[in-house]
Parts: sequence; structure tokens; C-alpha cells
Amino acid sequence: MPAAVPGFSEGRTPSVDHFTMSILLRRFEAIIREMVNALFRSGRSGVLNTAMDFSCSITDARFQSVSVAVGLPVHVGAIELIPQAVADRFGDAVAPGDCFANNSGYHGNTHCADFTLCVPVFFRGRLAFYTIARAHFADMGFPTPTTYGPNSADVYQEGLILPCVRIQTDYRDDPAVIDICRANIRSPDQFYGDYLACLAAVRTGERRIIELCEKYGDDVIEAFADEFQAYAERMAINAIGKLEKGSVTRTMHYDSELEEYPDGIPVTATLTVDPDAAMVEIDLTDNVDNVPLGINLTESTTLACSRISVLNALGPDIPRSAGAFRRINVRMRDGAVIGRPVHPTATSAATTNLCSAFASHVHALFAEYREGMGSAYAGIGLPGSCPVVSGVDPARGGREFVNQILIGHWSGPAVSGADGWVTYGTGSSQGMLWQSSVEIVEQQQPLLVERLALRVDSGGAGEWQGGPGSEVVFRIDQSPVRFTINAAGKQHPPPGVAGGKPAVGTVVLKEDGNHNTVDLGVSVDVTLNPGERLLSYSSGGGGYGAPEKRDPERIRHDLREGWISAAFAQEHYGVAPDEPDDLAGARSDQ
Amino acid sequence: MHIAVDVGGTFTDLVVHREDGQPRGYKSLTTPADLTDGVLEGLRLVADDHACGLSELLARTKRFCFGTTTATNAVLEDKAARTVLITTRGFRETLLIREGGRPDSYDMKAVFPKPYIPRSLTFEVTERIAYDGRIIEPLDEGSVSEAIEGSRQAGAEAIAVSLLWSIANADHERRVGEMIEQALPDMPFSLSHRVNPCVREYRRTSATALDASLKPVVIESIRRLEGRLATHGFTGTLSYVTSNGGQTSTREILNKPVYLCFSGPSAAPEAGRRFSDIESIGGGNVITTDMGGTSFDVSIVTGGRIPMHREGTIAGHVFGVPSVEVHTIGAGGGSIARVDSGGLVHVGPESAGASPGPACYGKGGVRPTVTDANLVSGSLGETLTAGGGVTLSRDLARVAIREHVGDPLGMSESEAAALIRVGCEQNMVVAIEDLTVKRGVDPREYIMVAGGSAAGLHAVAIARELGIGTVLVPPMTGVLSAFGILTGNVSFNFGESLFTTSARFDFERVNMLLASLERDAHAYLERMNIDERDQRLLYTCEARYADQVWQLTLTLPDRRVADAAALDTLVEAFHCLHETRYAVRSETDPVEITEWNVQAIGQLQDVDFPELTPDGRVATPIGRRRSFLRELDTHVDVPVLQGERLPLEQEFEGPVFIEDPLTTIVVNPGARVRLSRFGSYIIDLDA
Repeated sequence: MPAAVPGFSEGRTPSVDHFTMSILLRRFEAIIREMVNALFRSGRSGVLNTAMDFSCSITDARFQSVSVAVGLPVHVGAIELIPQAVADRFGDAVAPGDCFANNSGYHGNTHCADFTLCVPVFFRGRLAFYTIARAHFADMGFPTPTTYGPNSADVYQEGLILPCVRIQTDYRDDPAVIDICRANIRSPDQFYGDYLACLAAVRTGERRIIELCEKYGDDVIEAFADEFQAYAERMAINAIGKLEKGSVTRTMHYDSELEEYPDGIPVTATLTVDPDAAMVEIDLTDNVDNVPLGINLTESTTLACSRISVLNALGPDIPRSAGAFRRINVRMRDGAVIGRPVHPTATSAATTNLCSAFASHVHALFAEYREGMGSAYAGIGLPGSCPVVSGVDPARGGREFVNQILIGHWSGPAVSGADGWVTYGTGSSQGMLWQSSVEIVEQQQPLLVERLALRVDSGGAGEWQGGPGSEVVFRIDQSPVRFTINAAGKQHPPPGVAGGKPAVGTVVLKEDGNHNTVDLGVSVDVTLNPGERLLSYSSGGGGYGAPEKRDPERIRHDLREGWISAAFAQEHYGVAPDEPDDLAGARSDQ
Repeated sequence: MHIAVDVGGTFTDLVVHREDGQPRGYKSLTTPADLTDGVLEGLRLVADDHACGLSELLARTKRFCFGTTTATNAVLEDKAARTVLITTRGFRETLLIREGGRPDSYDMKAVFPKPYIPRSLTFEVTERIAYDGRIIEPLDEGSVSEAIEGSRQAGAEAIAVSLLWSIANADHERRVGEMIEQALPDMPFSLSHRVNPCVREYRRTSATALDASLKPVVIESIRRLEGRLATHGFTGTLSYVTSNGGQTSTREILNKPVYLCFSGPSAAPEAGRRFSDIESIGGGNVITTDMGGTSFDVSIVTGGRIPMHREGTIAGHVFGVPSVEVHTIGAGGGSIARVDSGGLVHVGPESAGASPGPACYGKGGVRPTVTDANLVSGSLGETLTAGGGVTLSRDLARVAIREHVGDPLGMSESEAAALIRVGCEQNMVVAIEDLTVKRGVDPREYIMVAGGSAAGLHAVAIARELGIGTVLVPPMTGVLSAFGILTGNVSFNFGESLFTTSARFDFERVNMLLASLERDAHAYLERMNIDERDQRLLYTCEARYADQVWQLTLTLPDRRVADAAALDTLVEAFHCLHETRYAVRSETDPVEITEWNVQAIGQLQDVDFPELTPDGRVATPIGRRRSFLRELDTHVDVPVLQGERLPLEQEFEGPVFIEDPLTTIVVNPGARVRLSRFGSYIIDLDA
């Protein structure tokens, strides 16, 4: 008999050999990719079918994430809470053909707009796995047309809540649940199309897992699931074991529109690395109480950001799955703004605003703990170029529309060894969101994008420079469009780390027909009329390391390509630039 | 006589179709400095084999078809022309941002890729068209003149023009083209609405940038080949195989060189289709694989048709024109195996390449590769017939495998070797699934045609994992794409974007457009000298549900959408397609159509394979090799049979190794192999 995986599950007979490990690992990856493809290609709203603002996962019957989910870090880092909610609420009263819908931050979900479907997968009458698809919907029936309520005072000012309800029985829709959704959600047809896309993902996964169990035997598949966790845990143990013992505490501030926090809402975390116990701890108990805003984190987003950010620092080889998560202890407090919220605290912006600052904050803790690790701060909140837009479209027979646009979501944080990844976005999405095509944006809603350009000098200077922000101009074409925006990073732009400089902050302006501009702040709900414009300047990403150490060749490149101005080079890098290099030099960089 | 050539990275493959109907394959070394040298060297081999001179051979050649990596390599090696992009003011970053996303979210230190054309070579012109073709801002010709002058000063060798919504109204783009022609008469340029008339500015711009940048290179390379062939007396038709797998004349290629992306590998599915036809198995459902030292290519044929897609990329840049989907992964004999700190084995993507090569080559390689694993597991003999008689060192392979895989995992060498094979095969299985399962295609309904020098080593194991019942290793396995080029049809695409919806279908404009595309397609086939009875047109559209943004390519049920009933048929066809792909249909939603295409196909004559003579054949093993068989969980002395001497149509039970001059075939336990009378090895697996 071939040897078993070493070091695994003492006291138990290993039943999965190396061959089966190699094969099943690939099988599960393939199933998840197939789920992703089904959802992406058949989704209706722009956040799904263009931005890929969704994720697909599989857990075993004990809620351990099997293989590695595909999707946004903030989506997949604590996916076990979803099947856990099914078990908590329904116990044994779960049957093949069931499907559960959950968008409640108090039942393990991320935030209200993330519509999460969970299907229990049965094999020979026994619940063996769960397939899960989580997708950001364009509307969830908020009082105002948005899916983020940064200023919602409590859950009753947010959208329709599905607290883990059975949406399908025996593979058929429960008409009551669908009717309630349709009655509460704007663009009900778009909602139903997106629901079908999610359903296609979870049912595809279900079908494939059953086939896999038939081929290999469910006992082997389940043993594999355990082996996989053990493997992931060993990888994490080995990585942590190589670090030195230490602890770092750091506080940053997040833009506040509340009187009690005139200097911003503090975000505090302590990182403790214990190589002997092979544990990393993120202590969040020093954070302030829940605020009457939608930006409070949920348990799901607090856990996800902590775990994924730690694993990002530990390296790309460790699977982001339950086994590795066991080596990360997240201490959080009930009722804290970063922690577990107390009902009825609002959490509808729990994946974007404060959350994105927090995710970057953990990366920054690592940069402080040891130079070379972690990253600077990425974009915070969503820029003005990522609004939820709504109105009536005269070109489509006066049909109502609501959709989130995702362009110019840049602001990559510098890391040791690379400048910011240009299309990174925030610490919650980490570059996994795709950017819309300008043409698709204009095809889907009645507005014009007049400009989508790099914002010169916006990335933080450093040995490694923060990625640039974007400049985007929307012009209203023929009928009014309402914009809701949940930006941040204006008062407190993304900081640099390890001597790197901060980025330039976010600005959102309204411009009338006479080119007069008004600053709209960061939480925006404004209707613009034909001829008016919305101007979005997103922040860049923070820099990493002292600017004096930057490679002059990179400075020359940025000058030549127009990423930075001569004045910026002079101020931050002390470079009296030569005549901008002759264009002939540009070719050698291609 | 017809000659097909496939210029690959290492070898230039030739297949000659002689007057007596028999095809024959040849190989010469590729000569990167001037590819025509390698081609002529190959032609000399052919001439020698036919006991005639090069001039005589070329004088007898009526058709010469060429698959070439010229375009692919120019992009990969950054040797395309210095190209300027002219675009709409405000949208200079299109090629920088692409479509966002990050290939590996785990790798925080990934470096953001460079744009195909740098920002410093991108010029903006003042103009704007809306999604419905309205002119929002007229073209400022002064700004165009400045851009053209800027291009000249920047030393541009080609210009790509891609304006927003040129697919809805091409006036501005056409005018920029005219102004370039006037100002810089010799400057090659490409207009986006002509290169790739699709919505999404990045895809259109990227295809156009590639197209323009390839023009000088491709013009030069075609001229050189034409010249040298003419010097040696060739007066027949020269054609090129395109990304859609068909052949076309140099005229089309010179206009749209972007169609040369993947010229060569794009012909592999055609080869797979032909062999399944010749052997009358598979019913037109074929998965074709091609495995060599460094890469593994997969493509499929469904119901005798080769599916096209619009998402082809090259070095990360979308080229977007209709192309055969050939999926390539870095997996081959040179792929290196390693064990991570958690005890999991990984095979590739790192490759030992040609130097130092696998450990068993004895050229300094110390890390174990798939070839080492095949040697230690007995699948390969120590004398590599397919490699020209190279002797491999089993001892060196053993040491590498023991040190890097066996010892860390506490396994024997032969078990570790089997594990490396499994790891490699799993990567290939995933590559095949990406083209099949992910598209709603069930591989169990397909046969597998295995090409390439390493084809036979892993094909049966891969087929078993996928539930494929039959594997075919064809006689031309070493020159598979060249064979596909030889037998491929003449083919080119004619398309235009025109948005309409089933809710308010624009019958008049759609039918006018279809008629116009049809005229272009016919004129093209006439120009290509295709007999009327061999002409075929394939009508497709790009369709989606309202609010979706990704189209599916839908074959039109008829040449026109004549009336409401025809529209109903079209809509129903879309529902079915959507359901096949994504498991759901949405009866109540209108279907939107964005683009209409007519593919012109000219069928060329068939190739007949003469039957092998049944005389003088023996099935005596030429030896035995000890091998660890995972299925049986034990070591077995596996008999080795000499492939080309096997009795025809007689089945042999696995486990058995078949040695053929071109490849070694591993026939696992439970599978049966026979040599067909047309020279293919056919392996049947128990379901």
C-alpha cells in the first residue's frame, strides 16, 4: 500500500494516499471553477457579470472549507458561518433539493447586499457537503437605491433581510420567498436572473460532488477533506515556525462623519506571532463600540479580513482554508465596530468602508513587525467611480434601472518588491474585482463616461510606490441619474508603511453646466441632471519603504510614462529630472 | 502535390500529400533567424525522399500551406513593430488596465503587467460617439493631425486606431484612417471596427494594437517566403493557416495579420477530426491533445464541428478574432516535480527545458521531471527511439526522484515515480476539463486523439480519469498540426456588429447585413478558386439575455431571419444553448444580439490513407520492463511490443508498452490496444 501523507492525524488510520490526494485536490478545484463559470456567464447585473463580485465555495459536513474557494477574500475567509447557520436553524430538518438563502450579518453573512445561497449535498441519504455561492446583488430593497448604507443608523434602515431561509424545496422555488424578494427589490427581473445564476452555481457544484462521491466513494472523499485541512494546517505551522516571536500594536484612523469622532474613527489591532506554538493572533478587543452607521463590520468580515490578511503575509503557498485558519486566533469583542455587532447595529457597508481600512491595517501590522512583509494601505471605501446608479432609462422604454458601476477601482498598495498593483481596489477585494468596460457601462445605463484616466502623482512615494488612483468623469446624457457613493480615504488617505509616504486622498465633486464644482464629501446621495457631471478622483495606494531607496530607473519610467510629474519626482525623490527621456526609450520597457 | 508546413518553436514539420494520395511526414530544425531557411531545409528532405531536386519538387507543388509562429513569437518576444495607439480623448489607459482582475490573489508581490503599447506612445483625439451611434462630439481633425505628427516624431512603424463606439458609428475611425494615409502614405495602420468589431473597448483595442504591430513583421515574412519559393520555381497557391484553423490567402493575412495568432496549433483539432473520420470512431466528437517536452495543448471537435471563441489571448493580450480554442498549459516531459513543506507533490509549471533537461539526460539536471518518472516507472526504455536514439540514465533519474520526492514522502522510487506521473496527468485532466466540462460538454461522449512525442505515455491514464472510452494515437502523431494544416478547409470570417433585441427585432437591417456579409463571403470563396459545390457558409450571431453582458455564439437556424416564426426558432435555439451551458433557461427574457457573422468555408479534397500490408507481422515481445502499477498496487514485468510490426486489428490486453518510432504508448491494465489497418493505435478502455 502506498505511503500515507506524513504527519497527519495521529491515532487514526490514514485512508487517503498521496495519489488520491493529488487527484481529489484537482477535482475540487475543477468543481469550484465550474461553479464560478456558471455564475459569471449567466449573471445579469454588472457587479456579477463584469466585476465578478461573487465567490463560490464548498465545505464538508463539519463546515470546513474544502479546497480553496474562488472569489473575493472578504467573501471566502469565513464561509463556514453559512452552513453553520443552516445547521443551527434547521438541524436535521434538511433534505436533498433544499437550498437556503442568507444575507443577514447576524446569521453569518458578510453584508446585506451579498446574497448567499447554500445547498446541502446528500450522498446516499447522508449530508456530506455544502455548496455555497455568494454574490453581490445590484439591489436588496434598501430605502434608497444603493446596496451600501454607510449612513444607515440600524438594520431597519437597510435592505430586505433573509435570515437563512429555505428558498428551494425539492429543487423547486418556494414561491413565497421569491414573491417577497420580488416585491421588495428594485428591478425584480434582474434580481431573479441573478438568483438563477447563483442557483446554477450551487446546483452545478452539487451535481459534480455527487458524481465524485460515486466515483471514489464518499468515505474517501470525506477522508480527503480531513487530509486537506491537515495539509493546510501543516503549511501554516511551517510558515509561522520560521518567524520570530513578537508583537505589534498599531492604530489608524478612518474618515468619520460623526461628531464624537472629529479626528476619525480609530482602528486598532495587535498582532502577536508565536512561532513556538505556531500561532498568529490578531487582537481586536480595543476597538470602539458600534457606531450608528452601516460601516460596522460583521463577524464574517472581521474574521475573513483577519485570516486572509495574515495568510497573505505568510505567503502564497498556504491554502486559504479551514486547516490554515486554525493557526490564526482572532480575538474580537461583541459590540465593537470591528468585531461582532450587536443587533440592531447596521452593517450594510461591512465589506467596503471600515472593512477595507481594517484589511489593509493587518497587512500594515506585518510591515511594521518585519520589513519586507505585509503591504502599505490600499484604497479605502469605494471611489466615486464605483457608484450605485439608478433612474429611468428613456432608451429602454422608460424602464427603471439600478446597477453598480465598477471602473477606476485602482489604488494598489505597494509591497516590498513591487509597486502597487494598479487595479487592486481595496483590502477587501485585493484586485479580484474586474473593471467594467466603458462601453458596457454606457450600454447599461443612460450616462456618458467622459474620462477614465490615471491620476498623476496620486500613489504614495516610497522605495516601492503606491499604485495610482483614477480620474473618472460621468456626464448625464438625456435623463436624470441618481448616484449613491460610499467613499472614504479623504480625511485619512491610505498611509504608507516602513517609511513610505501616504497616497493622495479621495475627492468626489459635482460640476454644473457652467463648470462650477461642489465637493460632495464621501457619503453621497445625489441626483444629477442632463449636462451635469460627477467628477471622481480616487486615492492612490500607500508607498512601501523610504523614497530615497527607490531605483532611479523606476523614477525615469514613471516620468516618461506620465505617472508622476517632475515636481513630484523632485519633492519625494530629490530628482532633478533630465529632460523627459526621448520617447525612443519607452520601447525598451514594453 | 500539396505541402503543409508547421513552423514550431523547435521543429519545422512538413506533411506532403502526394499524387498517389498518400501523406508523409518530415521534420527539420526551426531556424529562428530566418524561418524560411528551416522550411527550405525541410523541403530539401522531401525532395531527396522523392529523388528529385528542390525546383522539381516545387514545380510539382500546386498548393503550399503554411502555419507559422511568426506572429505569436513576435508578440511573445516583443519583436513586433513600434506601434502607436490613437484613441478617444480621456481614454488613454485602456491597454494598461485591461479588464482588471488578478490572476493569483495569493501572490501579494506580483508585478502589474505592462500595457502592449505604452502610455507614452498613446495619443488622444477629440471626438465622441454614443452607444447608439450619435455623434456627441465631432472629430477635431486638428487633434488628429497632431496625433499623426506625434506618431511620426515618436518613430512609429505602425498605428492602431481604436475609438470608443466605432462599432456603432465608424465615421470617425475611417476619417482618422484617411488622414493617416494622406500624411504618412507608407504607414501600416489598423482600424478597430475592421479588426474586431466587438463591444468592449479593451478587447477591440487590444486586437487592433496587435494587428497593427504585426503588419510590418508579417508583410516582411510573407514577402520573403513568397520570394524564396518563387526563386525555386514554385508557381502554385500559397496560403496561411489562421487562428480559426482554416487556410486563407496572403491577401487576407496582409490585411489582418492578427489572424495569424496561433497559426499552426489551431490546425490540431482538424487533424483529430480527420483521424477519427478515417477510423470511423468517435462520431465527430474528438478531444485532440498534443504533448511535447514543455507544453500540452488541448482542443475539441463537437459533432464534426470545431467550436470557435472570441477570447483568445497571447502573452495576456486579447486578440479577439474568431479562433479555434486551443488551451495550452506548461506540462510536458520536462516539468519538474517538487514536494512542499506540507507533504504535497506539485508537478510543473517549472520546466527543466532543453537545458539542463531531465536528470536522466545527464546534462547536469538534478531535479526530477516527468521524463525521469516515466523512465523509473518503466514506461520509457533507456533508449529513447522518439528522441533519435538518445540513451537515458535510469540511475540518475532514480537519484533525483529518491532525493526530491521519495525520501521526503517516505515512498519507494517507483511509487514516487508513479505519483509524479499522476500529478502531471491531473494537470492535463484539468486542462481538458477547462475546455469541456466548464463549457457544458461531457468528455465521456468523446474520443481522444493523442498527438506529440509524449502523447502515448499519459493518454490512456488521462482518458480513464475523464471517462473517455477510446484513445487514438495516429500515424502522424509527431506532425499532427502539419497534417491538420494539410487537410484543413479554406476559411475566413466576415462579421459586423448590429445590436437588436427579440423584443423589437430589426428584421430589415439584420437581413440586409446578412446579405452583405454573405456577398463578401462568396466573393472571397470565388477569389480562393473554390468550386461552387465545395462552398459552404456558416451563419452565427453573438446572443445573450437582456442585461447579460457575455454573449454566446449561436448558429443561426437559417440564412435569414425572415419573419416572426423564424425569430421564435432563433430565440428557442438560444434558450437551449444557454441551458446546455449554464443549466438554466429564462423563457420570459428578451434575447439581445450584438454581432452577426458569416464564416466562408471552402472544402478541399479528402486525404486517403492507404491500408497497411498485413504480411510479415509478429506480436512477440521485444522485452519486459518492471513497472509499479498503481491500479494493481504492485510491481509487474510489463511486456514491450514493437508497434509497427503488430498484426493488424488484433487486440492486446494491458498492461503492455508499445514502442513506436514516434512515441511510446502506455496501455494500462484494463485497456486493450490494436493497430488499425490505417496505421493508428486504437486503445479501448473499459467504461
